[in-house]
Amino acid sequence: MATQTAYFPGCSLKTVDRAYDVSTRIIARDLGLNLVEVQDYACCGAGELKGEGLKSHFLPGRNLGHLLEQGQSEVMVSCNVCYHELSRTAYAWSQDPKTAQAINGMLESVGEPPVNRRPSVRNTLEYLVSVVGLESIGQKVKRPLSGLKVAPYYGCLYHRPGQMVSSIQIAGEDTEHPHFMHDLLSVLGATVVSHPAETTCCGGKNLLSDERLAGKLTGRILSQAKESGADVLSLMCPKCAGGLDALQFRAIQEAGEAARLPVMYYTQLIGIALGHSAEEVYVGDMESRALELIRRMIPSDQGTLIEK
Amino acid sequence: MAKGAGIVERSLVSDDQIMEFDNLVMDGIDISGRWNTMLKSRVHGERDWQAWDEVRQNLVGTSIDNCIQCGLCTAGCTVGHEVPEFNPRQFIYWVKIGRTEELKKNADVVWRCVGCYNCTHHCPKGVNTAEVIEVIGQWLRKTVPNRMDPAYHANHRSYRHRLQTGGRLSLPVLQAEFLRELGRQRELMGPEFKKVAIKMLRDGRAIKTLMIGRPRHWSKNRKVLSEMEG
Ligand code: SF4
Ligand code: SF4
Repeated sequence: MATQTAYFPGCSLKTVDRAYDVSTRIIARDLGLNLVEVQDYACCGAGELKGEGLKSHFLPGRNLGHLLEQGQSEVMVSCNVCYHELSRTAYAWSQDPKTAQAINGMLESVGEPPVNRRPSVRNTLEYLVSVVGLESIGQKVKRPLSGLKVAPYYGCLYHRPGQMVSSIQIAGEDTEHPHFMHDLLSVLGATVVSHPAETTCCGGKNLLSDERLAGKLTGRILSQAKESGADVLSLMCPKCAGGLDALQFRAIQEAGEAARLPVMYYTQLIGIALGHSAEEVYVGDMESRALELIRRMIPSDQGTLIEK
Repeated sequence: MAKGAGIVERSLVSDDQIMEFDNLVMDGIDISGRWNTMLKSRVHGERDWQAWDEVRQNLVGTSIDNCIQCGLCTAGCTVGHEVPEFNPRQFIYWVKIGRTEELKKNADVVWRCVGCYNCTHHCPKGVNTAEVIEVIGQWLRKTVPNRMDPAYHANHRSYRHRLQTGGRLSLPVLQAEFLRELGRQRELMGPEFKKVAIKMLRDGRAIKTLMIGRPRHWSKNRKVLSEMEG
């Protein structure tokens, strides 16, 4: 029987990062999840309004209110930024009745539905591991990623701060050394390459305004993953993708050719392992040379085994 | 040798606080050499509680009260490792003892926080350090905007403008607006951006981006955001 859960894609996934959205939906269907999209979404705030005090909870609160109004109380989120914003507001709401009241006052003043209970905000990665389960994902693998050396990259917002982000609280993920993506990739048959930059920051918040620092930070992540032997960096956040994939040329400007590395969303890698073609999960949307890599690894999309 | 090179945590001491002498005799004793560097004694002038008041009355800033100045936030700070003057523990200290002059001197450093939450995550006292630093940055933006990089302002304004008018973010539009604010719109025609733009036109993402739409009742909703600072 299909498990039903609400799903929040957000602005990036609805537009330029459709690869993350489509691959999430495809693998959810394969794995028996019935995703119900949160209607009439607004931007989550993109991490930009956190200094605005109470107002920083308006946009996430509006989305949570709509979720609850749809009769759902749990939402799966792929984008780490949206996930963090929604978790943060759900947490603030639950910590202090006065804050909860103030958030609802703000929502009601413009005719939006209130947040009348604490919704459970879950990161897709955590949801796949703890609800679907590694074993049943493993059973569905049609095309093991054998021979593909994948470096997991979590970034920041998936697991920090541990007391606030709800998936960590629910699933007991390790906040110092997260491993759910490692676990998932090994079930797909990939060779998981650990590296020192798995949870270092990509500087995404100041990707536009502090180009050089962002280039330095992304350059370090890419080159450390590559130095550890990775063929591809596996990520879970469109903001990280901005710096590590779309603007990889800046990382290369700062760190040299050592920072040139294919980058993909982990959901795309799952999609490939479940038998989908590179086109179906939009590998070609990545700016780095991910498509070349996948084509090389799977000589024909019909192939059942990846070989080098 | 650089001025004050032997001082531990040199980045915490500004140049004008350091006195160095080639030859120095004090009370008839020659102390030239190793002992020739001194710090001026610090005299605190007027204390100024503006920043303190601002941070504490902000919902996300109140946790500053709990800070015990242990420095764990700074030990693991992403930006602190790259920019020696970036020191969240010290920023909090200046707010708490009313030395806003020091904060203002560092206005162009404070905003560089990348919001990685290493600090909040490791703070033993439950300070939401990342967001406290964000609020301090906002106070500086209101107080000494001219001391901050134009790129910071452009980022601040274009995000808010996009969010207020559209309720949703179209990243290519945001980026174009950011560059236009800085008078750098020509970069959009540079080879890297052009390549991406052509690709997105061909593969359908440009259309998706233009069709992003608005949330319902946005003209009413946006009032909440338009009352925001900036
Ligand atoms: S870790 Fe917390 S208590 Fe320690 S200096 Fe930083 S904010 Fe203050
Ligand atoms: S959130 Fe900002 S202050 Fe905190 S550790 Fe990261 S860069 Fe440093």
